[in-house]
Amino acid sequence: MRIAVCVKQAVDEGELRLDSEGSPVLSGAATKMSTFDKNGVEEAVRKKSEAGGEVVVFTAGPQDAKRTMKEALAMGADRGVHVVVGSEDQDALLTSYLLSRAIKASGHFDLVITSEGSSDTYTGLVGPMLAEWLSLPFIGYVRKIELRGPAVTAERALEDTVEVVEAALPVVVSVVSEINEPRYPTLIQIMQAGKKQIEELRAESLLDGAPKVGSKVLGMKAQSVARKKVIFEGDPQDVARKLVESLRAEGVLKR
Amino acid sequence: MKEIWVYSESAPVSNELATAASELARVPGWRAVVLELDSPRDGVFSPSGKLVLRAESRIAGSADTAAHAIVEAATKLEPVAILVGSTRLGRELAARLAVRLGRGCLSEAFDLSTDGAYLSGKRYVYAGRVVASVSAPVPCIATVKLGSYSQLADGSSEADEMHVGGAGAGLKVLDVRRKQASAVDLKSAKVIVSAGRGIRKKEDLELIEKLASAVGGAVGCSRPLSSDLGWLPEEHHIGLTGVTVHPDLYLAVGISGQLQHVAGIKDSKVIAAINSDRDAPIFQASDYGAVGDLYKIVPEMLKILSGS
Repeated sequence: MRIAVCVKQAVDEGELRLDSEGSPVLSGAATKMSTFDKNGVEEAVRKKSEAGGEVVVFTAGPQDAKRTMKEALAMGADRGVHVVVGSEDQDALLTSYLLSRAIKASGHFDLVITSEGSSDTYTGLVGPMLAEWLSLPFIGYVRKIELRGPAVTAERALEDTVEVVEAALPVVVSVVSEINEPRYPTLIQIMQAGKKQIEELRAESLLDGAPKVGSKVLGMKAQSVARKKVIFEGDPQDVARKLVESLRAEGVLKR
Repeated sequence: MKEIWVYSESAPVSNELATAASELARVPGWRAVVLELDSPRDGVFSPSGKLVLRAESRIAGSADTAAHAIVEAATKLEPVAILVGSTRLGRELAARLAVRLGRGCLSEAFDLSTDGAYLSGKRYVYAGRVVASVSAPVPCIATVKLGSYSQLADGSSEADEMHVGGAGAGLKVLDVRRKQASAVDLKSAKVIVSAGRGIRKKEDLELIEKLASAVGGAVGCSRPLSSDLGWLPEEHHIGLTGVTVHPDLYLAVGISGQLQHVAGIKDSKVIAAINSDRDAPIFQASDYGAVGDLYKIVPEMLKILSGS
């Protein structure tokens, strides 16, 4: 079984600094593998250990995204394909297109895994867009995948229901974080990952046939948190009374 | 007349989109049209008419078949924008429409506006810490953040019909289970009491349930309790990747306040927190913070609430 798993090197939302105007400082901002992509890589590695075969990790991002790729290799992916993106405005439409081109150029895959969305921008569009570009069925928001010969069954969580669905391979799935607990690679695995092959493709060479339009980010501003931040400390009985009184005064406690 | 189309498989969400579209339709020559697949639904309203798409086989029910039908209709009628509800299936539908029609796509947008040439809006990024202004040239697609527009409650009963070829595979659905009612209720709950890692063992959740019942609220939790510990079904998980809630009162008990959790509660009217760590980030996101041992404070609250 050949499995493709897509990862993104995302801005670390916890480490993000804001300038005096309240705009995020993105130049030189700390980055990490998008949180939920770890679940995608973990699932790919687990499915390989069940069925044998190969896990290839794909990313479309700047040169520095190689760090995230190495992390995926340390977790157990066999090799990587890095679409190096320069100054192109990279929305979900272009990202999914570049990934689809890289996947098509890397042979036949039975299973293509993404996460439900990235931890920084969280559009949730790349997985289903990838399925469209690849003309494959798509199962989104998957929390359990079972391989059944030439098909998969998957549990997908929608708003009010959980559906068990079946699709013939090959298929694109997006996974939710509940699907597994990602492993931490050992030092030895991290060192071995350095020897694994990462193929580089230039985004410019894949742009023929790429979508001409897209969405743009015009600006960003910190979300101002207008909370009262009143703190009660001290004797528990006293703290409990003040808290209940405050909530009653706000009119949000009916009793 | 240029048309803004809206579609959601959920009737309440479709009514939110109809409000958004009728605001955008203030542009001269624009008109809001609510799409219906297979047949019109009662309780789904449109400010100025519906377009019902029909095929030999059922169109609704799968994002793939819905996308095929809408793409066929859009290729003929060329709407200036298609707004889709940001449900899980809605995001899949929007993604498919964007690729097949070759259009830009805004995601989870709110505060939509247009100058006739671009559709613009806002969206949260970086776990809700930052608001981004985004835009795409029309014609384009957008998913609209749930709950960001009021629901249209009345409208025109005018409906046009269009027959489409009907294609797309759809997945074979083997089984459908409804999520637990309590979890589904979180989205509409007026009061939510939520538990986090400050709870030492599963049995102690009883304390949270008592408090929830004393204030007439639903029980939620942060991700570790449902995902890592499995003490509550994952439908109770509130946060960026779980349920997004907007109660009058959100009471976080023993929750440290990771960004992903706060992203799911920021539309609450009042946020209160109980935590033993004075420096827990949850206090920065709260209106009222009680610093101390939840095992002491919650029982005291229960006494006060029961009037004893």
